[in-house]
Parts: sequence; C-alpha cells; structure tokens
Amino acid sequence: MILPPFTLHEPKTVDEAVALKTKFGKDADFVAGGTDLLCNYKYEINAKPHVISLGTVTELKSFDTTRIGAGALLDDVMTDSGMRRDLPVIPAAIGVISSHLLRQTGTVGGNLMVDTRCFWFNQSKFWRDSISGCLKSEGDACRVVWGAKECVAVYSGDLAPVLITLGASVTIAGPKGRRVVPLGEFYEHDGIKRHVLGEGELLVEIRIPTEARTWKASYRKLRTRESFDFPVLGVAVAAKVDGDLLLDAHVNLGAVHTTPLSRDGAISQFIGKRIDEATASEIGEAVADGLVIHNNTAMTPAYRRKMVAVFTKRCFLDVTGKRAVAETASR
Amino acid sequence: MTPPSWNVIGKPIPQVGSRQKVTGEALYTDDLRIPGTLVGKILRSPHASARIVRLDVSAALALPGVHAIVTGKDAPRPFGVLPISKDEPSMGIDRVRYVGEPVAGIAADDEWIAMEAMKLIHVEYLPTKPIDDAKQALAEVANAADKIHPGTKFGNNLHKMVEQHFGDLPKAFSESFHVAKGHFEYAGISHTFTEPMSAVAHFDRDGRLHIWSATQVPHYLHRAMSEVLGLPMSRIRVIRPNVGGGFGGKSDPFPHEMIASLLTMRCRRPVRITFDREEVFISHHGRHPSEIDVAVGCDKNGRLTGLDIDALIDGGAYGSFGVVTSYYNGVLAQGPYRIDNFKYRGRRAYTNKPMSGAMRGHGAVNTRYALELLFDECAEKVGIDPAEMRIQNALPAYTTTINDFRITSNGVVECIEKVRDASGWKDKRGKLPFGHGIGLACSFYISGSALPIHRTRTPQSTVHIKIDMDGGVTVHSMAAEIGQGSDTVLAQCVAEILGLDVSWIRVKTEDSDLAPIDLGSYSSRVTFMMGNAAIKAAENIREQLRKAACRMAGGEPTDWVFRDAKVINTVDPSKSMTYMEALDEALADNGALIASGWYQSPKLGGAYKGAGAGLSPTYSFGAYITELHVDTETGFVHLDKIWAAHDCGRALNPLAVKSQIIGCVHMGLGQVLMEQWDFNHRSKGNIRNPSLLDYPMLTAKEMPPVDVFIVESDDKEGPFGAKEAGEGPLLPILPSVGNAIYDAIGVRMRELPITPASILRALEAKKKGKS
Repeated sequence: MILPPFTLHEPKTVDEAVALKTKFGKDADFVAGGTDLLCNYKYEINAKPHVISLGTVTELKSFDTTRIGAGALLDDVMTDSGMRRDLPVIPAAIGVISSHLLRQTGTVGGNLMVDTRCFWFNQSKFWRDSISGCLKSEGDACRVVWGAKECVAVYSGDLAPVLITLGASVTIAGPKGRRVVPLGEFYEHDGIKRHVLGEGELLVEIRIPTEARTWKASYRKLRTRESFDFPVLGVAVAAKVDGDLLLDAHVNLGAVHTTPLSRDGAISQFIGKRIDEATASEIGEAVADGLVIHNNTAMTPAYRRKMVAVFTKRCFLDVTGKRAVAETASR
Repeated sequence: MTPPSWNVIGKPIPQVGSRQKVTGEALYTDDLRIPGTLVGKILRSPHASARIVRLDVSAALALPGVHAIVTGKDAPRPFGVLPISKDEPSMGIDRVRYVGEPVAGIAADDEWIAMEAMKLIHVEYLPTKPIDDAKQALAEVANAADKIHPGTKFGNNLHKMVEQHFGDLPKAFSESFHVAKGHFEYAGISHTFTEPMSAVAHFDRDGRLHIWSATQVPHYLHRAMSEVLGLPMSRIRVIRPNVGGGFGGKSDPFPHEMIASLLTMRCRRPVRITFDREEVFISHHGRHPSEIDVAVGCDKNGRLTGLDIDALIDGGAYGSFGVVTSYYNGVLAQGPYRIDNFKYRGRRAYTNKPMSGAMRGHGAVNTRYALELLFDECAEKVGIDPAEMRIQNALPAYTTTINDFRITSNGVVECIEKVRDASGWKDKRGKLPFGHGIGLACSFYISGSALPIHRTRTPQSTVHIKIDMDGGVTVHSMAAEIGQGSDTVLAQCVAEILGLDVSWIRVKTEDSDLAPIDLGSYSSRVTFMMGNAAIKAAENIREQLRKAACRMAGGEPTDWVFRDAKVINTVDPSKSMTYMEALDEALADNGALIASGWYQSPKLGGAYKGAGAGLSPTYSFGAYITELHVDTETGFVHLDKIWAAHDCGRALNPLAVKSQIIGCVHMGLGQVLMEQWDFNHRSKGNIRNPSLLDYPMLTAKEMPPVDVFIVESDDKEGPFGAKEAGEGPLLPILPSVGNAIYDAIGVRMRELPITPASILRALEAKKKGKS
C-alpha cells in the first residue's frame, strides 16, 4: 500500500495552521505524529489532498503538569518526572498506548483526536469495496447495526477517559479566536462527527486542574496483547478518598462507544461508602448495567461488558490501595 | 555416549549471512533493481463465488504508462504443488472462488498508474452462493457445475477423503478401561512470516525467463512455471534471493509468480510484484480451519489401547498441499506412543475462502492437541501421573508402528524426564493453588518426507562442491535458505569433512542455473537430506585431496585425517601438510576439483493405499512442560515458564536448534492463545483481520522464558546423527498449555484459540455442572 499523493503544508504558528485549515476546509487534515492518520491514508480512508503538519508549530509542544500542548510527544510526557510525581495516572495510561516506537512519534493531542475504529471501516479500499463500504467510508449502510442511521465506530483512545475523570478541559483555536471546552463535552456522537471542532478549528492544549493531583486515579485497559493493540475497553477512575471511604468519584469508559463514556451517573449511590471488594463489585456491576456494546472490534460485546464490571471493580480497588482476590491469586 | 570430537559440528555458530541480515545489508527480492523494471499489480475478485460474465481491459491498456495486462485466458493451464491436485489457475478464467482471487495482472511504470489502471478494468460478475465452511461443503450438490470444482469425484464439495484402519479398534475400545473422547475445533491461522511474497520476472532478449522469488520451493516453482507458461525448464531460471521466513507459506508455486512471468513475456520488461500484508493474508495457505473428533482408549494400567481420529478440514478454494494435510491429520498421530489399534478418516472440503495448505508442523498440530489432552484425561481416570504414563506408552527406538512407519532413534523418554525433572513437575502437578497449573505434552514428527512429490528417480537432494587454487570451497545446492539456517548446515557439514572452519566455505544456493536440484524447504527435510548429500560430496572431494597427499608424501589414503586446515598423517605425523599444500598437488594437471554427492531416501513403508503419507527416513520426538496461571475473573492466561526438550538426533548447530525451538514455542503459543483467521458471516468471504494489527501474534511482552533441552539420540542415518528441529518442536507447546489450563482451573479447552472469553464460558459451564 502506498500513500496517496497530497500537498504538505508546514505552518509555524497556530494562527497560520488555522488559516490554512480555514482555507482548505474539508480538503485538508491536520497531522501531528501521523501514526493514526497516515495509516488510514494508506488504506485510502478519507484521504485529503492537503495535509497541514503541526510538527513545525512550536507552541503546541510544551507541557507541564497544568497544561499539555497538543503536540507534546507521548513519550516525553510519559517520562516526565513532574508528571510521574503529580499525576502518575497520565504516564501510566500513556505507557499502555500502542508501542514504544509509536509513543515516540505520536502526540497527546493526536491520541485525543484518534479516529474512531470499526472492523468494517479500518480496512483497505479493496476490502471495503468488496462489502460496498459503510456509513463512515464509501457506503450508505452500517455493517454493524442493521438499518442504523448513525455510525457506531468506537472511540479508541486511551488518554481521553483518564483526562476526563481528572476534570481536564481543552483549548481550541479557530478563525474566531480561542475557546475552552471541558474535555467531557468535547466528544460528540456519532462515529463520523466525533467531536465539537468546527470549521478551521484546532486542538491546542489540554488543561488539567491542580485539584486533580489530590485525587487517586487508575486506568485499566483491555486488549489481546500487552503491547501494540488498541483498547477494546478502557476504564478510567478518579476518586477522592479518605482511606477506603469514597468521597467523590468519576468513571469514564473508553472503547465501548463512539465517544468516551461517562458513567458518573451510575455510581452516585456509592459516594460516602467504604470500598471493599464487595462494594467495588457492586460499583462494577452498576457501571456495566445497561451498556450497549456493539460487535465491531476484537473480543465479543458480551465479554467486554463483563470486563467493564471487572475492570471498574479493580480500578476502584486500585484507588483505595487494594487488589481483587482473583488478581492476587493469579500473580 | 561420548559424541565424536568434531571441530565445526555441534558448535553454536551464528548463521551464515546473519550479519548482513541484521545490518540491513542483505538483499531480498523486493530490493532488486533491474533497470527498466515495471511495477506489477493484481486485480482481485471482490466476490467469494462468482461467474465472470465479461472482462474488458481495453480502457486500462490505453492508459499511458501501462505496458501489459494479462488475464486468466492467457494461461489457462491450472497448477498446484501436488501433481494430484493441480486445480488452481493463475487468474480466474470464467469464475472466481474466493475473495482476493487474481483476475488480471497489470504492468505499469509505477504503482500509481497500476492502481489507476485497476480501476479501469471492467469486470462483470454474476455472484453465486458461496460455501462458507467445511460442514456446508458436505451438502450434496444436485448439479455438478454448481460445485466449486465440478470435476471432483464426490457429489458434494469434498476435495479428498482418506480412511485407514489398523488392528481391531471396536474390540479394543470395548475392552478398554476408559475411552476419552472429544470434539475439537480449530480456527485457521497464518504463518505471518516477516517478508511479504515478492517476485521479479524478466524475459530476456534471448527468450529466457528469469524469476527471482521469495520461495521455499524453487524446484517446484521451476516445474510449475514450465507447465503453465509452456516453456521448457531449460528456458527458465529460478533464483531464490534471501527469504524473510516461510514456515510453509511460501512452499507452493503461486499465481503472482505466473502473473509476473506472463507480464514480462508480454512486454519484455522486468516486472516486480510485491504483496502488501493483506495480499499475504489472502494468499498465505495457512493452517486449515479444522474440526477433529478424537477418541483415545486405555486399559486399567494406563496402557493405550487404541486411537480413533475423524478430521474435517476446510481447504478453501484450491488444493495446495491439502491432500497431504488430509493424511497428516491422522497418520502423524502414530507416535510417540505405541498405538496398536487405529482408525482414521480425514476429509478435506473445498470452500469459497483463500486456500489452506502447509504450515509448520503440517497436519500434525491440531490432532496432537486433541490427542495429548485426551491422554491426560486417561491418566486422570487411571490415576497415574501423566508423565509416567507417557513414558510407559512411549514407542521404543528401532521399531515399526502398526502402519509400517520405521522408527529409528528415539529420545522421547529422555525428553520427558528432562522437562519433568527441570520443572519440578512432581511437586507442582495437581498441587499448585487454584488458578495455577502445569501441563505436559509430547511430539512426533517426520524428518523429511521419504517420497518425493513427483515420481522420479532423481535424488531428493544433490550437492556440488568446487575447490580452486584459492582454497575456498564453493558449495552448490538448491536447498532453500529461508531464514531457518540451511546454508549454515551446508557449510558446517562440508567444513567438518574437509577439516576447515566455515569461513572457507562459500554457499551458493540461489540460482537454478548453478546449483543442483534439492526439492525445497518443506517437510523438515533439508538438514537430513541435504546434509547427507553434502557429506557425501565433501567426502568425494576429500578423496581427491587424500590421493594428492599420498602422491606427495606416500602412505595410504586411509592414513590421512583433515583438521584445522591441515592434512595430518596419523601413521607418520612428520608427513603431515597443510590443506593448501595438498590442494596445490591435487590441482596439478587437473585444475579445479569438483565433486558431487546426493541423497535418496531408502524405500520404506507398507503396501496399503496411502502408505506413503507420513513416511520418513527418521522421526523427531519431544516433550514440553508449560507452567501458567489464569486470572479467573478476566479469563486471561499468563504464561510463567516453558521447559522444552527436543530430540533432534544431533544438534549440528545448537544455537540454531535452540532458536528453532523458541521460535516454535512462540508460533504455537500464538495459535493456542490468540491467533485466528477471522471470518464473519457478514464479511462476505473477507478475512476480517488481514493485518498484523488485527491478527495478533504474541509480542515479546507475552513471551515467557523458555528453558531449552536438546536431546541427542544420534540417528544412524542422519548427517552426523541429526534429525529435524524446525517443525516438530511446535507440536507439544499447544497441548502443554491446554493440559496446564486443566491443572490450573479444571477445564479442558477444546476450541482454539483459547480466548479469555472462552475460559470464562468454560468456568461458568463447570460451575453449573457442579451445582
């Protein structure tokens, strides 16, 4: 497979980047690390004639523990001592993104912007043509849900669920200036629309409230292999705890829906309770209850729903410094 | 037994050519840059089953930069690696039988033009109802023309059926203390070698066709090209550059090799076709998706009484090696245990999928998994340690099986003892906490198919040696180095006989114009057959040096030994000379020395139908133990450690043997735990995971430590006592995992791959069964 031809633009500033995107509109994509976009291009998935590189925009690269430039390299953030000290869940979550090599190319913003995935979509042009495409590619019918009008491709980033539970927000630059949006409101159904970015808009940075440092957080990722694979489930939990007393908590699921999925509503009844394995199990069941998971990634929906409960339980045990019996026994 | 003292044999030396490979200096087929080479692309069928109503290439041919287009009608003669099932056309002619089947080939100035041209080829298909799996293929078809292959002798879509009976199985089972039975299902899997298939073809100004191809079987390619293209073999030259792995996936002649040839013959420019990974998955000829029913009987002392195997395998659209696979699923279960009553039925079905064929451990892997799990069930019923019961049932060395396999050296008992003692088996089995387990399994595999594929009296392997005045030893053989290390074995065998180190040896195994025939790298035959041919050739050339030494210094030819680049007189050491001095004399009035050696398997086996299947001049044996733990909430299997013992007769190069064993463990763990060729009823004949992202192989992170034990049973007919070590070591890893899972959580997993979800389902079922 060979990259389709495109014109590469290399703006130096955010304003230049936004101007270029405004000019080319739907005929252009931003590219940072390229580890997601260029693979899709090789598959002739929505390839554009213009590609605007963000690699030359220096403003995007810097980061500290309160803000991360969208262009910061995953590996740089993962190995940063301040991050490891103040927000260890972020380096931990980055550590399970793809592989060592890709983390040295991929960016934090790129991970947040990673395209939704689906077995029927992430295939070569030849493959898609042989099934007459799908809603998200060249076709007009969803291959996952019979008669669906909206795309159910799965949001498959690892960092967004974590950052959402930490209360992060994002700065967006656009032709009309900058605006700040809570990350929890950044993503939008469906799998084609994906997010709130408008014409010419660019994700610039992620802001993390300092209060997040006082929370305990955990991220657990389900996948076939311990490296390389996209999540087929990610569970992020951030909690305010006093010993094993749960004072407040956020739960967000990745890779089970077209967007990161907040399950805060499912756990309100457990605030104020003490967390032991039994309570954590109840939380897990509550979070998994009623979830609709589609069959369009590795591992079956039934299994992934079961794992929502197990992984959520384990995350809640993590934030109270405990471990599940089955996990301890199998170590 | 003290092994003889050798200088080169038995030494762990890095592979010949490995420095070039790890530094990127080595050239593979796709690296070739013949001036004027065009890019070849293949237009493939989007339908699993369809008639081709119309095929019009005129618009594509008119595109500037397109030099040639060929279609099925340009080479209608079908081919296949086995003479008994030549059923595959270079490109679909009036019908297509799987998604991805070639329909046309294009040669263009660059890939972009070729892809543009593909869009301009107009193909009108009339889709027909595809056969999705082997069970569907069993349904009778009223009209023969509706079969995938109308010419077959069956009334359904079966390709091959074999049946064998030995002894009296019904009686044996009726008298058994226990008969363990099970239905086992296996997903198809892929070899996932590193280098995609690639071929460069060049029809030169003299009308001679040269093909460079990443192939394991240059000779079979040579024959098939001659038939399909209508050129005598003398007008075809096959060159095998460095090959980045094969594992059986490059052991057939392929359509792309024919297409590249047809294109270059049409436009007289060199044409290169290199696959992308998806095309590799479409063309791989991987391990057959299989359903196998197995029953194993034993008496109250744990002695096996009989074995019944019924295998139904999904062959895909064409034959490939499938007839052999049909036999191997049964006959290769004849060891390492003594089986006196045996029944086998093997059926291979045609389906509308990419075809299955030979893959490392060909035909033996899936049945072995079932047999070893049921063996453990028997041991449990009898109440005997499975290791002890395996030792009790082991075939002895130098015996004959019920189906007339001649067993020579056999180190299986030593293999079992080695891993049992090293792993702490006796303190662990049945004694680890719930969730933790340990499992054992054995292997038995051919060391080269005794019968050649084609009826011929030409030896199975021939080696030529030339030595000129520089002293360098040039060794020619067409044995295909595919990364497994056959060039190194060749160099070591010759170096040992001539008393030189391997730096003197130049191995030339690429070019059919220069090297004599070897049948290829399949059936674990190369070390045994090429090694023996190399020894004979080296002995023949050594004889010339001995005679020269006698002429120079007197004495008898038997007085001389060759060691450390010296020719030493054992009777009178003062007469000793250097290798170069002896060579100088040998060249006088003679010129460069040449010699030849060959290997032909002895005549073996019984007189019944199918007696040739599984015959081998010798067999390898092995035993592995796996320790693992299972997370009972997630179903994930975590591998702790593998102990792997393999009887390879003699490790000519222990480093290479160890690498083969670890590589086999890695590949087998993939099949048992995660790999599968995923078809979905809605994917319309497409493989749903044709990429190395979605088709998961183990990464280094999942790979457990492996302790390797090489057992040397010193085979009397092997080169320096050697037997195979490339495929047999794959067999025991899968069932050792299956048996360890049973030890850990008490469920016998009968479907591969064993996914976390399937573990949870099995645990659930076990819980319900108890309550």
